[in-house]
Amino acid sequence: MTNRIRPAALLALALAFPLAALAQEGSATISAPADGAKLQAAADNRVTYEIVPGPKGDHSHLYVDGKEAAVLRELKGSASLKTLAAGPHEICVKVVNKNHTPIGIEKCVKVTVE
Amino acid sequence: MDPQNLAYALVQLVHNFGAVAVVGGAVAARWLARDAPATQRRLAWLVLGGWLAQAASGASFGAVSHHFYGRFPDIHDLALIALGIKITCAASGALLTAAYLWRSANWPLALRAAIWKLLIALGATALTAAAFLRWFA
Repeated sequence: MTNRIRPAALLALALAFPLAALAQEGSATISAPADGAKLQAAADNRVTYEIVPGPKGDHSHLYVDGKEAAVLRELKGSASLKTLAAGPHEICVKVVNKNHTPIGIEKCVKVTVE
Repeated sequence: MDPQNLAYALVQLVHNFGAVAVVGGAVAARWLARDAPATQRRLAWLVLGGWLAQAASGASFGAVSHHFYGRFPDIHDLALIALGIKITCAASGALLTAAYLWRSANWPLALRAAIWKLLIALGATALTAAAFLRWFA
């Protein structure tokens, strides 16, 4: 019985470790729009994101072309990109600390508005 | 203990006591010590120290961020305006209090009272701006 449990416990530990490490480090993901996506200027374009702030992070900021566009208080959700001019744009979600300083955890995608 | 959080906490500590000094000192001088010029003068030193502490700790928030992450906090729009108001209040408050300490012996009572009212207004404005800076950054 003990011999059966031990491999299972090791497997569970091995699977759990990357998740624990991720939570420790923090992460940022953008599920929409996809990198390289083409957006319509007239559409209600939104960014869908998820962050794990990690021990140093607190919340996140949304940036469009390097300019802060919104404060994202929720760890997971979506935010309007408002009106985007035609042409290429870079959209980033950056994890910031309580002093609103980006801590180096970020995800950026490039889109083209037509 | 995380050194980064400790640094922010110590800066916040100074900032909070600075806020208490600028508002509390001016209110006390205006209402509790209005007939006691010597006490008002001591309170003016307290208020001056408070404004200087506000300015130094405000700058230190940015310095701590720069030290740990190589960049300053990202603030925009309304928060940026609030920060500008706070800086203006701190500069005006420190200069006004310094002028009070330097010259008020020759000032009429009405002028001294007006200065304390103005210092209260500057303190209240800075505190109000701080709330907007905190939540709109």
